[in-house]
Amino acid sequence: MVMTIETNTKDAALESLLKDMPSLIEGLRENRETYLTDAVLLGEIPSPTFGEEDRVRLALDRFRENGLDDPEIDDLGNASGILPGSEGSSSILVMAHADSVFGSDVRHVLNVGSDYITGPGIADNAIGMAAVVGLPNLLEKLGIHLKDDLLLLINTKSLGVANLEGSRGFLETKQRPIRAGICVEGAEQGRLSYSGLGALRGQINLRLPSNYDWHRFGAAGAISHLTRFVSQVMEIPVPKEPKTKMVFGEMHSGSSFNTSPRSGSLRFEISSEDDEVVHEMETQVNELCEQYSMETGIHVMMEVVAKRKNCGIPFTHPLVKTTRSIMSEAGVTPAVDPSTGDLNSIILAGHPGVTLGLTSAENVREANESIKLEPLYSGMAQMITLLRAIDQGLCES
Amino acid sequence: MTGNNQKWLDDNTFHHGEFWDILKLVEEKEKKGLKISLCIPTLNEEKTIGKEVLILRSELMERYPLIDEFAVIDSGSTDKTLEVASNFGADVYLASDILPEVGNKRGKGENLWKAIHQLKGDIICYVDADISNIHPRFVYGLVAPLIRREEVHYVKAFYDRPLNYSSGLRSSGGGRVTEILIRPLFSLFYPELTNIVQPLSGEYAARREVLENIPFPIGYGVETSHLLDLYDTFGLEAFAQTDLDRRVHRNQTTNALGKMSFGILQTFFNRLHAQGKIDKLPDLETFYRRFEVEDGVYSQIAQEVIEEERPPMIEIQGYLNRNQ
Repeated sequence: MVMTIETNTKDAALESLLKDMPSLIEGLRENRETYLTDAVLLGEIPSPTFGEEDRVRLALDRFRENGLDDPEIDDLGNASGILPGSEGSSSILVMAHADSVFGSDVRHVLNVGSDYITGPGIADNAIGMAAVVGLPNLLEKLGIHLKDDLLLLINTKSLGVANLEGSRGFLETKQRPIRAGICVEGAEQGRLSYSGLGALRGQINLRLPSNYDWHRFGAAGAISHLTRFVSQVMEIPVPKEPKTKMVFGEMHSGSSFNTSPRSGSLRFEISSEDDEVVHEMETQVNELCEQYSMETGIHVMMEVVAKRKNCGIPFTHPLVKTTRSIMSEAGVTPAVDPSTGDLNSIILAGHPGVTLGLTSAENVREANESIKLEPLYSGMAQMITLLRAIDQGLCES
Repeated sequence: MTGNNQKWLDDNTFHHGEFWDILKLVEEKEKKGLKISLCIPTLNEEKTIGKEVLILRSELMERYPLIDEFAVIDSGSTDKTLEVASNFGADVYLASDILPEVGNKRGKGENLWKAIHQLKGDIICYVDADISNIHPRFVYGLVAPLIRREEVHYVKAFYDRPLNYSSGLRSSGGGRVTEILIRPLFSLFYPELTNIVQPLSGEYAARREVLENIPFPIGYGVETSHLLDLYDTFGLEAFAQTDLDRRVHRNQTTNALGKMSFGILQTFFNRLHAQGKIDKLPDLETFYRRFEVEDGVYSQIAQEVIEEERPPMIEIQGYLNRNQ
């Protein structure tokens, strides 16, 4: 009986939050200058993984300007700050990664049109960062006051070989009671991640020995060997159930038209819903390396640069259910998408969490990456409504 | 004079980093009762105007109220410049609608001149619309010396000027007209003005009482004429300059720079004559002539460049009426 009353009260509270969404969207449209400006200013500072200092420094300045408590940069380069709640008995973590796939040599110039922003890294993840950095200002302008402390984090070292080092390190050292976490990504609106996928990121390094016999049968340069090796790796069966994927992401070798290169490398990722499958495939790739080395006299080695386990909260968890209701109210169809990103760090640290995408994007991770502004307002409203729902205890079992 | 030059450089050359505390600037501005207007002159700038308005308005009007008024004054763009600028909250004007009784002339100088009438600020800051890497420093770096130092009337920007090519940035080559035309001319006739690092930069801020008392060429000569006229009246002490670090802008062709130099030279020679530095000035030609070659055939191209000037705004009846 008590449980039913409590459930009814929670339903009513969520209903009331959902009713506020249209006016929240309008409020966010009216106040868009705050976060769009931050997105451009942050996005125009190059921030490759392991080189995020300058961008993070601006985020920290904003934390200070917005009056957060304890604004700081930790040993891993993460910037964080706290917006104290009226009760402050627990915290809600809202975070966005600062690093981008674009190097410092890429021109980080963004263009702003009436209904879009274009430029490298705007979707992944300058607009996500801006949403986090601008939250204190936005909440104040929108007249929203939280009971919980709001713990804001701009984390470094998220992508690629960094293996979530920034967020993992932060959550290991930040000893605060965290009620739930929201990872904010620029795209894609409707994305709903509540589980982290087991994954392995590896690099195959292939090198011809200094005494390589170019006259031997089958002798070839590193590119030929690398392609032969890749076709052998592609023969490894990839199961459909449990869902598993192998992606070849990057390959490097050679420097000119007519010189046979002596070394090359390949970067790939295996992800699966089953950690055992990842492990088995890792073993098979290692065996292939060994076999290829012995058969050809070429040095082929696999280096594991990142590895993470499956983790997650159930589809029926109140945090996930509430997020789905909010998306539905915003007119967005949720697309369940297991994450290989910072959500893993939140969940592995023992906190419930989800990853949300703010808006629609095109050409993500290309120089002409672009976000649409119109969907952004409902994307932001979705994030703030979820924050309020967590604050009101609507996302707990 | 070298000692004086060095003293002026030491005292009147700033770096925008000295003014990072915008809140403090706002307090000083309010204490002195100053109002500041920002003007961006435009003609078909839809690619860059959105970002300029967004960032400058958000940072310098909303977050820190350093700017009291923000206007885009347009020469009749045929692209979406006005729509985008107004979408992000700028006050948008057509130059032809301002002081219609004096008629309409086409040129950036016309927009700058009419801004004096349209805008209300005690200080007017002009920023070009084609800056790819716009940042609040482009404004606060220029208005700060005017807020802090009463004897300063006019502040010019200078920068690193990488040029924006389709293949990427090139770190040198900006300011070609400055280095091969203006600097030699200043060295010959106005050596003190060579202390100004980038006399042609399109970003500057000035006090109203100074701007309303000088004529405005409507074309290429407007920046040069400001320097020569103010130097003649106030000397070098009226100027300051601020290093704004890097400014990324469009590259211009050598032909375009030749035409620009032709316009500047008209303004320059007229000033030399008016200020008694040369006795006689022949009637100056108004056609800029250059060659084109196609399939081995040379042909001469002649383009008319007339550096018309607007009189000091203080002489315009409509402006006087406005002030009453």
